[in-house]
Amino acid sequence: MHLLAPIRLLAQVTEEPTTEPSGIDLLLPASSELIAGLIAFAIIFVFVWKWVLPVVDKRLAARQEAITSQLTAAEATKLEAESLLADYKQQVARARDDANRIVDEARQAADALRTDSVSKADAEAVEIVRKAREEAAGERQRAAGAIRDEVAALSLAVAEKAMAGAVDAKAHQKLVEQYIAELGALRP
Amino acid sequence: MPADDRIDGYAAAILEVARAEEQLERVGDELFRIARAFEASNPLREALTDPRIPVERKMGVIDDLLGTKTSPLTVNLVGFVVSAGRASDLPAIADRVAERAANARDKAVAEVRTAVELDEATIARLTTALNKATGKDVEVKVVVDPTVIGGVVARVGDLVIDGTVSHRLEQLRETLNQR
Repeated sequence: MHLLAPIRLLAQVTEEPTTEPSGIDLLLPASSELIAGLIAFAIIFVFVWKWVLPVVDKRLAARQEAITSQLTAAEATKLEAESLLADYKQQVARARDDANRIVDEARQAADALRTDSVSKADAEAVEIVRKAREEAAGERQRAAGAIRDEVAALSLAVAEKAMAGAVDAKAHQKLVEQYIAELGALRP
Repeated sequence: MPADDRIDGYAAAILEVARAEEQLERVGDELFRIARAFEASNPLREALTDPRIPVERKMGVIDDLLGTKTSPLTVNLVGFVVSAGRASDLPAIADRVAERAANARDKAVAEVRTAVELDEATIARLTTALNKATGKDVEVKVVVDPTVIGGVVARVGDLVIDGTVSHRLEQLRETLNQR
């Protein structure tokens, strides 16, 4: 109100009892209003230029600096996050590789163990069969030998008894004559 | 004293006594037969070698067995060996006496075993055949041994010529056992 008082006073001074306006004058302000408006504008402009704009600029600069700082921090955080993510991915990949390697090694060990076990079992089975066959063959040979010896002993016992009864005086004499003939073929 | 020396000593003593009595051949032959009977008869061997049986009883056994069949000198010589406690050496002593007696006549003893007695003609032909086969002048001493079953086995020193049925059966047994 205090600032508008001179403008209002100036408007009262310039206002003259005039005729009623018409035409373009209906659109254009009165000169007094125009001047008062220009002065008011200039005062406001100076006020804004002098006091308001620096404050605004200062706040905008601070704001910009804060935003820039935040953007920088965000960028650093982003880089750090990307680095962490890369590390994490690397660790995950390494862990996956390790896991795959461990699984492969375990599978290979299991395969080797299974193969070894199967080989040993096969070898043991072959050895058991071989020993069984050898024992069977040995037992068969022993049995055959025992039977052969028994048959030989029985045959000879029968032969001895038969010979003892069959060799009469004539046969004895023939055997002695045969012996004497065989002695004749010997040389000292 | 080693057994061999002891046997030699007894054989030499018996040989000298028999030679002094001029019964060398007969004593040698009778001792040889007695020794074979001693080997073949377990009861006789046990009766003459058992230390628990008194010497007098052993002498009685000798008299009973040999008294009428052999010369008194042979009986006395056998009694001498038995009374000295050397009855177990009797076969070896008899063999040594026969060997020495034969050697004294430049002959070798041929112990001939058969299942049956041989007649004189067969013994003569056998002696001739053994002379040719061994290259020695042998004196055949026949031993009747039924275990030979048939045929003849002759032993002259270390040489054995076996043509007995029992030997052939034994060879057959060995052949069968080897197969």
